Amino acid sequence: MRIPVATMGLTLTVGMLLVMQGGCSKKSIQSGGDAQSTERGMAKSGGPAPSAMGSTGGVGGMEPPAATFPDLSLSSKPDDLETGGLRGFDSVSGGKAPSEERLGGGGTMLAKVEPSESTARQIEDIRREQAKEQAASAEAGLRDVFFGYDSWTITEEGRQSLTQDAQWIKANAGALVKIEGHCDERGTLAYNLVLGEKRAKAVRNYLVELGVGANRLAVVSYGKERPFCNERNESCYQQNRRGHVVVRSK
Amino acid sequence: MNRVIIGLMIALCVVVGAGLFGILDSRATDVFLEATRPDFQKIPIGVFGFQNGGGPEWLGGRIEEVLKADLQRSLVFSLVDLPAIGVKAREVSTTDKAIFKQAAENGVSVLVWGKSGQKNGSKESELLMDGFVYDSGSDEVVGGKRYVGSTSVVRLMAHRFADELVFRYTGEPGIARTKIVYVAEHGNARELFVMDYDGYEPKQITADGFLNLMPRWSPDRRFIVFTAYRSRNTQDIDILELATGKRWTLVSMAGLNITPALSPDGNFLAFASSQDGNSEIYKLDTRTKTPQRLTVNQGGDLSPTWSPTGREIAFTSDRGGAPQVFIMSADGSNVRRLTYEGDYNAAPAWSPRGNWIAYVCRTAQRLYKICTVSPDGQKRVQVTTGPGIDDSPSWSPDGRHITFSSTVDGKSHIYMVDTDGKGLERITFGGTHNSSPSWSPAL
Repeated sequence: MRIPVATMGLTLTVGMLLVMQGGCSKKSIQSGGDAQSTERGMAKSGGPAPSAMGSTGGVGGMEPPAATFPDLSLSSKPDDLETGGLRGFDSVSGGKAPSEERLGGGGTMLAKVEPSESTARQIEDIRREQAKEQAASAEAGLRDVFFGYDSWTITEEGRQSLTQDAQWIKANAGALVKIEGHCDERGTLAYNLVLGEKRAKAVRNYLVELGVGANRLAVVSYGKERPFCNERNESCYQQNRRGHVVVRSK
Repeated sequence: MNRVIIGLMIALCVVVGAGLFGILDSRATDVFLEATRPDFQKIPIGVFGFQNGGGPEWLGGRIEEVLKADLQRSLVFSLVDLPAIGVKAREVSTTDKAIFKQAAENGVSVLVWGKSGQKNGSKESELLMDGFVYDSGSDEVVGGKRYVGSTSVVRLMAHRFADELVFRYTGEPGIARTKIVYVAEHGNARELFVMDYDGYEPKQITADGFLNLMPRWSPDRRFIVFTAYRSRNTQDIDILELATGKRWTLVSMAGLNITPALSPDGNFLAFASSQDGNSEIYKLDTRTKTPQRLTVNQGGDLSPTWSPTGREIAFTSDRGGAPQVFIMSADGSNVRRLTYEGDYNAAPAWSPRGNWIAYVCRTAQRLYKICTVSPDGQKRVQVTTGPGIDDSPSWSPDGRHITFSSTVDGKSHIYMVDTDGKGLERITFGGTHNSSPSWSPAL
């Protein structure tokens, strides 16, 4: 298989740079998503949901994804997928040299990602936003909720914390609150995202029970991907099984 | 992708237990290649060095080292220590009858040798590798290959030669040129990287600055699907074209949008979303862009993995309280529970040959290890043992290895292991947190 080195190279690098421009190209192709998100301020714009999801409970719906995304069907691909472009050995009888195969690109061509200025800016924005949230949450005195191993049940202590949080939220009518679900490092990455969401939603539901409007409470799960503590012991694990209640910066 | 069907197709009736009765389509489970049979005898292969003819001093040695490691990992060949059995030669040529005879008499089935160096009359960076193959069964020089390229493709020359050898003796393309996509910690963020299957040549493919998780390959291996935290508060399922770095959003529903997996023909994307309250499995037709919800229950359903026929999906569900692995038809019907041992079984990965499903099992000692189970639930094997939290199993396209992440050495790193638990090999050494490996299809 002759890999067209010349055709990748510069053009692709340029394309990559465009993609990296502050994620702008990503924004321009974003599909709608559901417009009925209860997460006020995060609700995504988009047209009415198609009826395809209607039978599943009627909440939300799925906007068809960007009509432009590439064809992923294997049937439209060249036949040499089956052998990976292998050509077999050439006869070398009579001292003949094998025919030349030129290699380039490492098999799968990879556009190189250079952490660009815009990425650095994005990372800095994220850092600043987080610091702001942290400061606002500390000032509000919001308390977090901690969970047992494998559990998303709110403990008595957790209820006390949330009672206090609810008072602050109700007293600060303009504030939007986010509940982050976190897990310890045990278990799978994927299931911990679901577990983290269960924890965050348990916190949200209890706050709603205490009279906080659901539209002021957003939930997000980070699973075990953003731990508060990195050691491998129970006290650290306990710190990470958490519903983290924060004042949202926007 | 490269399905060679030797066995006869049969259907098994199995009692799945707990009152569940299921008829399992096991057509995919009887697909065998000689080389995956337990009684398969590896082919003894001897590798002479690659004589250096100009070029960098390390060239011949590097090619030999990479080639030998590839042949070892192929599990098709067994490497013979030629000097140890008295087969020695400074230089071999295609007419060295005496050496061939001596090797054959010592039980060596295949002999490989070659030379490497600067390409004559070319600009300085051009290197060349010649490789030759002798087969003692037919007593003939099978042929040779000549590769030309820059210093950056030297490892690829050896990988490609190894794949040609595997292809010659099994009819499969081999895995030496496969890649692994994974998540690595980068600053405070988790970004996607792609490396060679042996851990070399890692390359960063995203630089978003927050969380990109759970990457999977498209069947043509041109694209990666993954979960991207678009902001810190919401997630999408995105697709990235490796050659260009171009990105599209495939799924953008409320709540979690996680564990994407493209069907073997690329026509469907299965994934989990919690837009309807709890995590459920959906299927998006990538041609018509039509979504369909597959699971309906109060528990969390996630981590869909396709059977190689595309007719069934295994997934994780905690509908019974704790996570277990289930199987359903690709239209969401005929759901039945697959795992019963232990109270935590998750992250299933259906083998490309169809005969095993790897997953994370929690042992009686509460360790998270890699297990495999046959799709009829009849056979179960614990593949990894000892300390460390193992996660995210993914099969090599030849079905002979499983890559996974583990904290056995402290920080999370990527490992591979043979399906029988032997041949454990750590493949990442740099970085502070490498996780979620996904093995590319063969190509």
